[in-house]
Amino acid sequence: MATFEQAASLAARLAVDSVKEQFSPQERLEAVQKIEEEELQYMPMPDTMRTKILGMCRENKVAAVSAVVLAVMALVIIFADKLTVYDPNAINLLERLQPPSKVHWCGTDDLGRDIFTRILYGGRVSLLVGVIPTTISMVIGIVLGMVSGYIRQLDAVIMRMADIVLAFPSIVLAMVVMYTLGATTSNIFIALSMIGWAGTARIVRSQTLSLREQEFVEAARGMGVKKWTIMFRHILPNCLPSLIVLFTLNIPDAILSEANLSFLGVGTQPPDSSWGLMVSQARTFAVSSPWMLIFPSLAILIMVLALNFLGDGLRDAVDPHMKK
Amino acid sequence: MLKYIAKRVLVTIPVLIGVVFLIFVMLSVVPGDPLTVMMGEKIKVDVIERLSETMHLNDPWYIRFVWYLRDVVLHGDFGMSYKLMRSVSSLIANAFPKTLMLAVTAAVLSWIVGIPAGIVSAVRKNSLVDHLFMGFALCGVSIPAFSVGMLLQNIFNGILPVSGFASPIHLILPAMVLGWNAAGTIARLTRSSLLEVLEDDYIRTARAKGLAPLPVILGHALKNSLLPVITMMAIQISSLLSGAVITETLFSIPGIGRLTVDAINGRDMPLLQGTVIFTTTVIIAGNLVADILYSVVDPRIRVEGGK
Amino acid sequence: MKKYLSLLMAGVLAVSVLGGCSSAFDDGSSSSAAAGESGGAQTQAGTAAGGETSQAAGGSNGGAATKAAGSNVIHIPEHDEFRTLDCQKDTEFYVVPLNIYDRLVECEVVDGVATIVPSLAESWDISDDGLVYTFHLRSDVTFHNGNQFTADDVVYTVERMMNPATAAVNTDFFSMIKGANDMLEGQADGVEGVKALDDFTVEITLEVPFAPFLANLATPSCSIYNRAATEAAGDQFGIDPAVTVGTGPFKAADWVLNDRVTLVRYDDYFKGPAKIDGVELIQVPDENTQKLMYENGELDIVDLSSSTSQLAYFMGNDAYKDNLVTGPEAGNYFYAFNQDMAPTDDVRVRKAISMAIDRQTILDQMYSGAGHVVNSMLPDGVLGSYEAEEIPYDPDGAKALLAEAGYGDGCDLELYQKTNDPDALAINQVVQSMLSQVGINVTIKQMDEAAYLSERKEGKLGMTRAVWWADFNDPDNFLYTFFTEKNTKVRSLNHKNTDVYQWLEDGRKMVDEDERMELYKKIDMTMVQEEAAVFPLFQMDHVVVVQDWVKGFQIPWNGWTDTSYYNVSIER
Repeated sequence: MATFEQAASLAARLAVDSVKEQFSPQERLEAVQKIEEEELQYMPMPDTMRTKILGMCRENKVAAVSAVVLAVMALVIIFADKLTVYDPNAINLLERLQPPSKVHWCGTDDLGRDIFTRILYGGRVSLLVGVIPTTISMVIGIVLGMVSGYIRQLDAVIMRMADIVLAFPSIVLAMVVMYTLGATTSNIFIALSMIGWAGTARIVRSQTLSLREQEFVEAARGMGVKKWTIMFRHILPNCLPSLIVLFTLNIPDAILSEANLSFLGVGTQPPDSSWGLMVSQARTFAVSSPWMLIFPSLAILIMVLALNFLGDGLRDAVDPHMKK
Repeated sequence: MLKYIAKRVLVTIPVLIGVVFLIFVMLSVVPGDPLTVMMGEKIKVDVIERLSETMHLNDPWYIRFVWYLRDVVLHGDFGMSYKLMRSVSSLIANAFPKTLMLAVTAAVLSWIVGIPAGIVSAVRKNSLVDHLFMGFALCGVSIPAFSVGMLLQNIFNGILPVSGFASPIHLILPAMVLGWNAAGTIARLTRSSLLEVLEDDYIRTARAKGLAPLPVILGHALKNSLLPVITMMAIQISSLLSGAVITETLFSIPGIGRLTVDAINGRDMPLLQGTVIFTTTVIIAGNLVADILYSVVDPRIRVEGGK
Repeated sequence: MKKYLSLLMAGVLAVSVLGGCSSAFDDGSSSSAAAGESGGAQTQAGTAAGGETSQAAGGSNGGAATKAAGSNVIHIPEHDEFRTLDCQKDTEFYVVPLNIYDRLVECEVVDGVATIVPSLAESWDISDDGLVYTFHLRSDVTFHNGNQFTADDVVYTVERMMNPATAAVNTDFFSMIKGANDMLEGQADGVEGVKALDDFTVEITLEVPFAPFLANLATPSCSIYNRAATEAAGDQFGIDPAVTVGTGPFKAADWVLNDRVTLVRYDDYFKGPAKIDGVELIQVPDENTQKLMYENGELDIVDLSSSTSQLAYFMGNDAYKDNLVTGPEAGNYFYAFNQDMAPTDDVRVRKAISMAIDRQTILDQMYSGAGHVVNSMLPDGVLGSYEAEEIPYDPDGAKALLAEAGYGDGCDLELYQKTNDPDALAINQVVQSMLSQVGINVTIKQMDEAAYLSERKEGKLGMTRAVWWADFNDPDNFLYTFFTEKNTKVRSLNHKNTDVYQWLEDGRKMVDEDERMELYKKIDMTMVQEEAAVFPLFQMDHVVVVQDWVKGFQIPWNGWTDTSYYNVSIER
């Protein structure tokens, strides 16, 4: 049985995987703590989960609004080509550095490209960079975490690997991976997955550790059910609520990490744009043309903020301890 | 307790070796060598060939890895930086105080702002103040550090120094960038854990029965609820001490973070190994301290013996 | 027990924090002390000057930023940390060497023409066969440590460069001297071709004639060191400013790593003391920050040509009209094509690309028109430059050429650049868009600097944007660097014209100046006009913004950012 101390040290290690500039891991910290404390009250799925989320939408207005905002943003980004008359990469040197106007809602950049259009198209990259690496790293983390928690012979090896990843300043690790593989969008997915899996693996491992002692798992084991079946049929479903929360909260992390990589020049490659790249390209024009800096920054802020609110709301909803 | 610490320290050794190994393997795959990047446009192939030989750059990575480990373990020698032609230890010793100053300032700033904001938000839960504070806190963790940094540089241009590390006032802007982010984390954590305690049954009962006034209860509740906050503080400090790469780059602060990035860009293997070992150690130590603090502050928790 | 433990921890934390505070700023105070001391020790009339220097450096301690206002020191921003102040071991950072050392001869602009002028050597004779150079040295020169400059120091400088133990990177500047390569390869203890005839005469014999030899000696890499001081300094030479000794107008006083290098005036300078007390070279990597600091008065001189993103701001702002100093840059921007890679292995494609790029528009819109379009590898102001035939902007002609080459339906092209190069990125994106108009689909590939350079060295990069500024005033410096058999691969050009390889070797040995220049013109026309191995873009004006109180600042002959501040003064 996991002790409180283990929970604390676990959370401590978890927290480290966030990029230094962004301390968002407290969500995970809290999630883990609660899961550890409430390990006996694992959640049955999926009906309760659905009711809880619906309940959240009723009670937590901010989270509900965030969900709507995200949906609208996703639609706008997906139908970008219908919403703007400009080509995001069309260079027009005669119109460089124009302030916001009726023609260019958010102004133009140093190559005369329409910033509003680039934000719409850049959103595609940012959204993909949020969702895809998070999905990959969650899958890796879930598998390795369950294996580590259930097949004890592999525990030490997998957890030391996780330690290595977590002990590394993650932006540096991502940078080195990008240098090794080359700077392309698909390699951003790989780099961010490589730094993201370890945190998930730790959480899943600790949950697996407690769940494997539960009666229903022991019963299944007694009936001769195979290892992998137990893991994926019995243990995984019971981890799901916290994993959904974790997923929501990992996406903003990934978006910010991509922004940081782009700032260091190894993220998204021109002429494509991501919001992070747009902000970093604004660096040299920030004083004379502040719109180049402000609008993409706002786009990041709104999306990440909405995701964080939604994640908080979800956590409150699936966490019995915080119920009002 | 000591046994426990010893065990934790021992476990870090394979982790450190793993980190060094990982770096060696990855950077040996990446094209580029320190001499070529150092010469830049004035490239001279003959010179590169001659010096590569004397600097053992042509050896395969595993041989260099073994040599490196031997130097570090047997002689405590982290080597010379290719790029800056000084000993790696002296470069880290030069950079760390700057990172330390920045980290401590940012952390203190985040506590001063974050903890009171969290308390107020928890006590006046769902009020306008709560929403304002929490919105502000979330913004801090939802916007890239360089966005904030650039905005601050523009706003405070002419009022505060926007670059460099010549005096304590140079710290203000970068500390604000890092501090806002950290304060957001602290404020949210304080709020949620305080709420959790305040909503515990025994406290609700006590309040319902009018056994104690709010301040007294708050005092008790705070003591318990600050536990995760303290843990988080230790983690944040260690994370900040390992160098804020982006903030240091933006504000031209010659700290550990920038040293690391420069080392990667210059393929300066000895320097990169040195900074990575250093930061990894700092992060691991920070986590250890967090665990110990946890057990010291809360007598209910005891660290396990050498199991 | 736990209480004690937590107390102990708090104590440790507090001590380390306090320790950190003091040591973090210790650098600043020690720097001011060092600057003050050395300033004071040297000056005759200059105690006040020394005091002011220390005030400037120590101002950082007192809390106020190092403001330019009120001091007689100029503040210059630097993008990168110096590697070493020893210019035999570095190819990149020449600003300190240019200010603390001297060369036998210098290259200066005289009546609008870059000319070799005497410096440590008063005069020189060259034998008719171009092999033997005899330098007559000044007898009134002292090093910063008080030692007199003699012919032995010249011998020492050459031998130090060629000594394998030095691990110098600029050996090519002396390798044409007789016996130099023998020493480098460990087969001789000295360089046979360098002899001190007496204390103030030195004779240098070359292996074969090398026409640009004098110009070559004027480069910073050929700075003269003092034997006694340099030998005593060992590997600290260039690292520890106190032992890094030269003859120049300034002395290296302090180097706070990643913050600043402080130079103070050397009062016994043989050309007379400088008018300013010193120079502070401050690390400010970010261009936007450089501009902000200039506006705050924290920087005195900002080179906009190395901070191109700020060019438009200063040039478009009337308030700075009188603060801009411009001059020609002896250097070219150009695109280099890789002839080992399709589609640029076809000369018609190379020519089509050249015709599809509207250079004048790029120059006017992105660089505020500060320069002019060029059609040769030899920029104006460099020996041998000539009026070359215009490469036309003709998109239709480009399409026709592409069709002729079999690319009527378009083709793909890879354009390589470094990651942290916003200037190249901007122009590459414009070129990408211009080439798409004629059906060439360009992919911009960014690589980090180290990977970029090492792949380019292997001849593996596609089209690249390149820049070259003159090291020394000779066409050899431009054409040899790019078009010899070895260098063409290193620059990822891979051109195959064996005649050109031979001509470049011949050109070095020719003694007749006119004949030589004709040959270089032929080489240039072959490579640029006929083969389109490179596509010259523009020669930029070098633009520097200086504060009102800075007088006497001049763009150096080659338009380098790194320059000597000897002639600069401050008048308020």
